[in-house]
Amino acid sequence: MTVGTQVKSCYASIKSIEGALESLHETTRNPSLQTAIEDANKLVAQVKNAMHHQVIELMKKEPQFKS
Amino acid sequence: MPEWIIVILRSFILILFLFSLVKWLGTKQLSQLNIFETIAGIVLGGIAAVHTMDPETNFFYAILAMFIWFIVPFGIEKLSLKSKRVRDFTEGKTTIFIQDGKIMEENLKKEGYSTDELMEKLRDKNIFLASDVEFAVLEPTGTLNVLPKKENRPLTAKDLGLTIAPDKEPQTIIMDGNMMLESLANASLNPDWLRTELEKQDVALENVFLGQVDDQGQLYLDLYDDHLAVAEASQSALLLATIKKCQADLEIFALASDNQNSKEIYQTCSKNMDQVQSILEPYLK
Repeated sequence: MTVGTQVKSCYASIKSIEGALESLHETTRNPSLQTAIEDANKLVAQVKNAMHHQVIELMKKEPQFKS
Repeated sequence: MPEWIIVILRSFILILFLFSLVKWLGTKQLSQLNIFETIAGIVLGGIAAVHTMDPETNFFYAILAMFIWFIVPFGIEKLSLKSKRVRDFTEGKTTIFIQDGKIMEENLKKEGYSTDELMEKLRDKNIFLASDVEFAVLEPTGTLNVLPKKENRPLTAKDLGLTIAPDKEPQTIIMDGNMMLESLANASLNPDWLRTELEKQDVALENVFLGQVDDQGQLYLDLYDDHLAVAEASQSALLLATIKKCQADLEIFALASDNQNSKEIYQTCSKNMDQVQSILEPYLK
C-alpha cells in the first residue's frame, strides 16, 4: 500500500464515521446524545475537509496510483 | 321469588359494589394500608358476606353500611393528604432507632423492639455489624430503613468521579410475535424500520418472542427457536472502534510525513478525532 491509498482508506473511514453518527442521530431518543453527536460531527467535518485536501494533494504527487 | 335467586342477585350486586369501592379507594398494596384502612377493608368484606348469605336481611342496610365504611376512610385519606397533623395521627410517625451510629435504647423500648429483633432487621438489610450504621429509622409501616456509614455504602460513579451519559428507558416493541405499535411510536420508530431491522438479521416477526429497542435505536431479540443464533447488537462498539482506528492512523501519518505542512494538518486532525472520541465514549461504551 502506498501512502496515498492509506490516506484514502482513512478518509473513507472518516466518511463512514460521519454516516454512522448521522444515522445514530436519527434513531436515538436521547436528547443529550443528539447534542453530543452534533458537537462530534462538527469536528469530524473539519477532519473530513482537511483529509479531502490531503487526498487531492497526494494524488498530484502519486499520479501513477490514481484511482 | 325463590330464595336462591335472591342470593344470586345479591351476590352479583355486592361484588360489583365492592369492586367499585375498592377501585375508588386507590391501588395501595396491602402492606401499605394503615390500620384504619385495614379494618375498613375487613368490615366491608364482612358486611358483603353477611348480606349475600342471608336473604332475610334488609339489602338497603347493607349498601348503606358499606357506603359509610367506605366514605369515612376515604374522607380521612383525602384529609391526610392535605394536613400533616392528620397524617401523623392516622398513619403514625417514624421512630429513629440509630442516630450518629448510636442505638437509641428508649425508642427501641417505646416501639417494643428487642435487641434481637433490631439485629434481625439490620441483617435483613445485609448489615451484620451495628457500628456500620449511621442512621436507621422505623417507618410507620414497620419496615426499618438503614443508612450505612459513608464508607460502607456501595461505590457509585459519582464517588469515582466518572462521567456517565444519561440514558432513556428501553421500549418493548415485540411481544409474542406481535408488533407493539404504541411502544414503537414512543421510541419514535415505525413498523417499516422494524421490518428492515428484522430482515437485516434474517428473522421472521412471528419467531420473535421478545424484542426491545434501547435509546440508541439498537434492537435486542429473543426468539422462540433458541437454536437460532441472534447477532448481538454491536453498532456502537464498531463506531467507537472506527473512531479510535482513524485517530491512530492520523497519528501515524503525522509521524511519517516529512512535509511540515501536512504534518501539522495530520496533527490537528488527530487531535480533533481524539476530542470526538472523548465526547462519544460515555454513550457508546
